[in-house]
Amino acid sequence: MTVTHHDQKLHVGKFKPSKGLKTAAYVGTGIGIIGFAIGLLKNPEHMWPAYLTALFFISLLGLGGLFWIAVNIISNAGWSVSIRRLAEGMTSFIPVMVIGSLVLALLGLKTLYPWARPEEVAGDPVIASKAGYLNQTFLIVRLLVFGIGMYLFRRTIVGNSLKQDATGEESYTHKNVAAGVAFLIFFALSFTMFSMDLLMSLLPTWYSTIFGIYCFSGMFQSSLALLILILFYMKKKGFIQGYYSAEHIHDVAKFLKGFTVFWAYIAFSQFMLIWYANIPEETEYFLMRAQNGWMGVSMLLLVGKFIIPFLALLPRGNKRSPVVLVSISIWILIMQYVDVYWMVAPNFNENQMSWNGYDFSLLVGFAGIFLLVLSNFFSKNSLVAQKDPRMHEALSHHVSY
Amino acid sequence: MGGSKTGMAAIFLTEAQVLVAAKKTHDMGFVKYDAITPYPVHGMEEACALKRSWIPYVTFGAGFCGLSLALWFTWWTSAVNWAINVGGKPFFSLPAFVPIMFELTVLFAALSSVVALFYAAGLPRINPPILDKDLTCHKFAIFIPSDDVGYDEKKIEAMFRALGASEVKKAEF
Repeated sequence: MTVTHHDQKLHVGKFKPSKGLKTAAYVGTGIGIIGFAIGLLKNPEHMWPAYLTALFFISLLGLGGLFWIAVNIISNAGWSVSIRRLAEGMTSFIPVMVIGSLVLALLGLKTLYPWARPEEVAGDPVIASKAGYLNQTFLIVRLLVFGIGMYLFRRTIVGNSLKQDATGEESYTHKNVAAGVAFLIFFALSFTMFSMDLLMSLLPTWYSTIFGIYCFSGMFQSSLALLILILFYMKKKGFIQGYYSAEHIHDVAKFLKGFTVFWAYIAFSQFMLIWYANIPEETEYFLMRAQNGWMGVSMLLLVGKFIIPFLALLPRGNKRSPVVLVSISIWILIMQYVDVYWMVAPNFNENQMSWNGYDFSLLVGFAGIFLLVLSNFFSKNSLVAQKDPRMHEALSHHVSY
Repeated sequence: MGGSKTGMAAIFLTEAQVLVAAKKTHDMGFVKYDAITPYPVHGMEEACALKRSWIPYVTFGAGFCGLSLALWFTWWTSAVNWAINVGGKPFFSLPAFVPIMFELTVLFAALSSVVALFYAAGLPRINPPILDKDLTCHKFAIFIPSDDVGYDEKKIEAMFRALGASEVKKAEF
């Protein structure tokens, strides 16, 4: 469909995944399934940490898409409606996340979590005292509440947006405001528990009250980086023309810079309070990550996840430059994976850093599934929410400097 | 700061007209002219072909100075001039100094930006001449000072009239 509006040529093509993309997605998924199967039978103690790392990393990209949509909905943002559909596509991983986390809770619990092994609970009164919260049944209930909640919110918010494509009915926009507010409240509470359950309880004697926000900050930072990559991809391949300009990409890049700083702020808040108070049950976590090669990874996060992106995204020209933005977005996605790996792996190989074939196969496996569901969503639906009542705002989006 | 200048002013009634007029004035080769609008008009920077402001560089430089100064100062007070053992930690403990370094970075950057803004905009100006009292409400103006390159009152008046100015006058601004 090609129409002319505001002197811009508007064009939305039908999304067709390229051969390379399709192959990459299928090969990745295949490698993941093979790695999962072999690991499950032969080497569960290496496979499950890799599974958890990859599942958490990719799930956060999907959740971040939904969060970004909700933030734009409740702040009544008009500029972003022309790129909203691309973020909606990212949320299609949420059903996979629900299944993936349940598989983990049913099959991998004993391998991953000390609190799921009765002999360890019996030997440690601290873990035993937490058994009322940390037990398999309650964990599955919490994962179900979170997963089904996310699924339903996604169905409502993205569903309303898709229904609007057909009729242009304005009421869907209003309906989504209520859904967006409810989502954010539900998300804040349940995501804190989700990250505590899956990552923090790997070390059940340790606690950090800011842990949920730490995971959230990485989630938002990495999903914005992915959104920038999708924006450039769709533009370069010619699927979308005229609906978003350098101004829109610049604004997403501002978001990215802001939440890069936010991640650093949260990460430092968590570290400094624990370092200052110096209480043994709290310092445990950072001691594990300061020895045997892990110190290098910790420093890499400080430099790679904050200092480099911050300085790279500071000049205005860089936030509008495709080369800089694409490279820094890929870099941030790698750093987010390193961050999740850094939270998971030291609990299993404290004495040495190792990144093995299971880590690789599960990562490309979940990434492959992500690409599959993403291109499936884009093939089925229009790439732009063309009948959004605020489309004119997005099309004439211009920022003074 | 800065006395007022004499020159030619044109008053426009619509945003679209003033944008075209600003563009045209730039294309005629004028460089010292100013557009006066009651609110920020989208596209005005492009129409006047304004360069980016130099204030961000001041912000960055001042922020960097604040960061360095705070690092030096916390080091000097905590580890050199009056070293106190706090919880058995090293005298020079960077994590404890980061909040101070952050705060001074922000403080220096923000205050310097405001000072630089005042300097760049020639503020404060006490009791400046008023071109038209409706310029803060619903009218728009272009003012070309008499010391601008190629200043020629007849030519300017003809240009402004052709652009649909509701009023063209010799004025002080």
